[in-house]
Amino acid sequence: MATATLSSLSRPGLLIWLEKITNNFLLQRIVRALLTIWIVTTITFFVIRAMPGNAVDILIQELTAAGVSPDDARNQAAALLNINLDAPAHEQYIEYVGNVLRADLGNSYKSRGLKVSEMIAQVLPWTLFSVGLSLLITFMLGIMLGAIMAYKRDTWIDHLLSNLAATLDAVSPYLIGLLIILLLGVLWKIVPITEMRGALSPGIQPGFSLEFFADVLNHVKILLLVYVLSSVGSWMLIMKSSTITTLGEDYVTVARARGLPDLRILTAYVGRNATLPLFTRLAISVGFAVGGSLLLESLFTYRGVGFLLARAIAERDYPVMQGVFLVITMAVVFANLFADFLYGWLDPRIRIAGGGN
Amino acid sequence: MQPILSIQNLSIEYRARRGRVRAIRNVSFDVQRGEAVALIGESGSGKTTLGLGIVQLLPGTARVTQGRAIYRRSRDGAPSEIDTLQLKGRALREFRWKECAMVFQSALNALNPVLRISDQFADTAQAHGYLQGRALHARAEELLKLVRLDPDRVWRSFPHELSGGMRQRVLIALSLLLEPQLLILDEPTTALDILTQRNIMDVLKDLRHKLDFSLLFISHDLALAAELTDRVATVYAGKIVELASVETTFKEPAHPYTIGLINAVPTLKGTKEDLSSIPGSPPDLVEMPAGCKFHPRCPLVESRCKEEEPELVEVKPGHQTACWNWRSAREALQTHKVQG
Repeated sequence: MATATLSSLSRPGLLIWLEKITNNFLLQRIVRALLTIWIVTTITFFVIRAMPGNAVDILIQELTAAGVSPDDARNQAAALLNINLDAPAHEQYIEYVGNVLRADLGNSYKSRGLKVSEMIAQVLPWTLFSVGLSLLITFMLGIMLGAIMAYKRDTWIDHLLSNLAATLDAVSPYLIGLLIILLLGVLWKIVPITEMRGALSPGIQPGFSLEFFADVLNHVKILLLVYVLSSVGSWMLIMKSSTITTLGEDYVTVARARGLPDLRILTAYVGRNATLPLFTRLAISVGFAVGGSLLLESLFTYRGVGFLLARAIAERDYPVMQGVFLVITMAVVFANLFADFLYGWLDPRIRIAGGGN
Repeated sequence: MQPILSIQNLSIEYRARRGRVRAIRNVSFDVQRGEAVALIGESGSGKTTLGLGIVQLLPGTARVTQGRAIYRRSRDGAPSEIDTLQLKGRALREFRWKECAMVFQSALNALNPVLRISDQFADTAQAHGYLQGRALHARAEELLKLVRLDPDRVWRSFPHELSGGMRQRVLIALSLLLEPQLLILDEPTTALDILTQRNIMDVLKDLRHKLDFSLLFISHDLALAAELTDRVATVYAGKIVELASVETTFKEPAHPYTIGLINAVPTLKGTKEDLSSIPGSPPDLVEMPAGCKFHPRCPLVESRCKEEEPELVEVKPGHQTACWNWRSAREALQTHKVQG
């Protein structure tokens, strides 16, 4: 103790201040997150430009084919797309980073005049809503069923659920989506799939009305079903193994010896400890689900981030792709950051390591 | 007065891939009210199984094949007898910790890592309709002081903030919360370093003087048992082979195994040559040797030992042993203890 105080006294004030900042757990994580985002943005910028067949070339070709001279075509394309074609890549990059910092992601090549940031802002809430809701349902369902499987280990109910979970986990989400459309929509005609395109029916005004919420749920329900079916299996299996491990812990045996009620042991002793590693996974899943929504949103024409990205890729709309990649990166990085803090908050042992107590 | 705990002809088996593991074989003994009995044996001799059996915490593969564990409760007026092996549901839950508390050998992981010590006390109290709030805090403070902990430091801590010895003492304090009549300590000092072990033993001795409970002390360490208990039951291959007071066990052991155990304990005056360990290792509980289970390791083995298993016979009042040669065993083997 005494030596530590002495050495910190002898150091200049600024240095101590700097040390305090670098030792701060929260700050460390945030700086690391921002660094990750910057690296991914940079890589995206250069990789997209290194790919053959870019949109500008295609636009110039189209204009030339329409009878415009090559030089005029170049100028027109540059004006349309608002880029400086003669600037070297690093200047374009610096300009791009500057724009990103001002939340300006540029304009779409294809839907001319539309700002990328506005396009993303339009679809992002729908993806966050559908992904968030489905993750919440999946998480709770997976935890409940996984705990049942662990408690009833080696009974018929465990065998049934384990096989079901392993099957669901193995089948690709896209296939489950197709199967749902085929069964519910085409063969049994239970759900009118075509009416469910988009995130909202035309003419419905967003607001706090029953009609609005009913319509939102109606459009999202099949997508939710597919999300839940395709990811609940792995949650069940993880929860089962985590619960089995926890059930073998000494403190659970001691809790029984202490005569605690079964329900208290299930929730505060087994459940609380068995779900600890799952919370981290949950937060990370949110990040990945934003990017992973591409195939399913296209399949159900649900106008979210994935749908926008799929279209941008098909149309080689680089600014939109770049923007969506940035959003996905940010989602993953911030979800990880959130997971770190969440875990530290839930597990007192981490709380100490983080210095946040 | 009747004993508080009577184990009668108890046998416990585990089902394993290789066959039935006969961990406890036809064991009978009593624990008198206020008495401390030690169960001594090598690891794998079945002593922990016995403790877990009494509070019905055996793993799923274990089965009680015969016998009873009669517990005589004395609280709330008329004394009543219960067979702890038959308890179910609420009655079992109430028996655990309130009548019989068990402190396990794995002290480091015995407390829920995500709950504060205060919450773990509150959980236990609430489960048995015991004190809450301020009254509970006061009672816990008293107990924590009794086990030589600083209540202010410990009460709001998480388990990982405490050392192994502190955690074990917290668990001992917690075990005394409901004033149990019977305390089972299963190797309470095994995972701890020698100084911490000393400290815990002092705490336990102190508690025995101050409080009124009966004790079943399970250990492999004869010296610790001698410090804390009144009587010693030596367990070998799931069976009690010798049962005597601490003094008799040390001065006049009659079973070759007990004699071997005592000769393996270092004494202050003895030299290294005086120490002898018992050759061989404990038997495989699935395929046990015929006759006396100790005969492959016994220096006094005869042909009879290989065929017939001896039962406990009385050496003198209060001293029983299960050996065909008990009359001559001590003289034949006790060459090392002359200096003592």
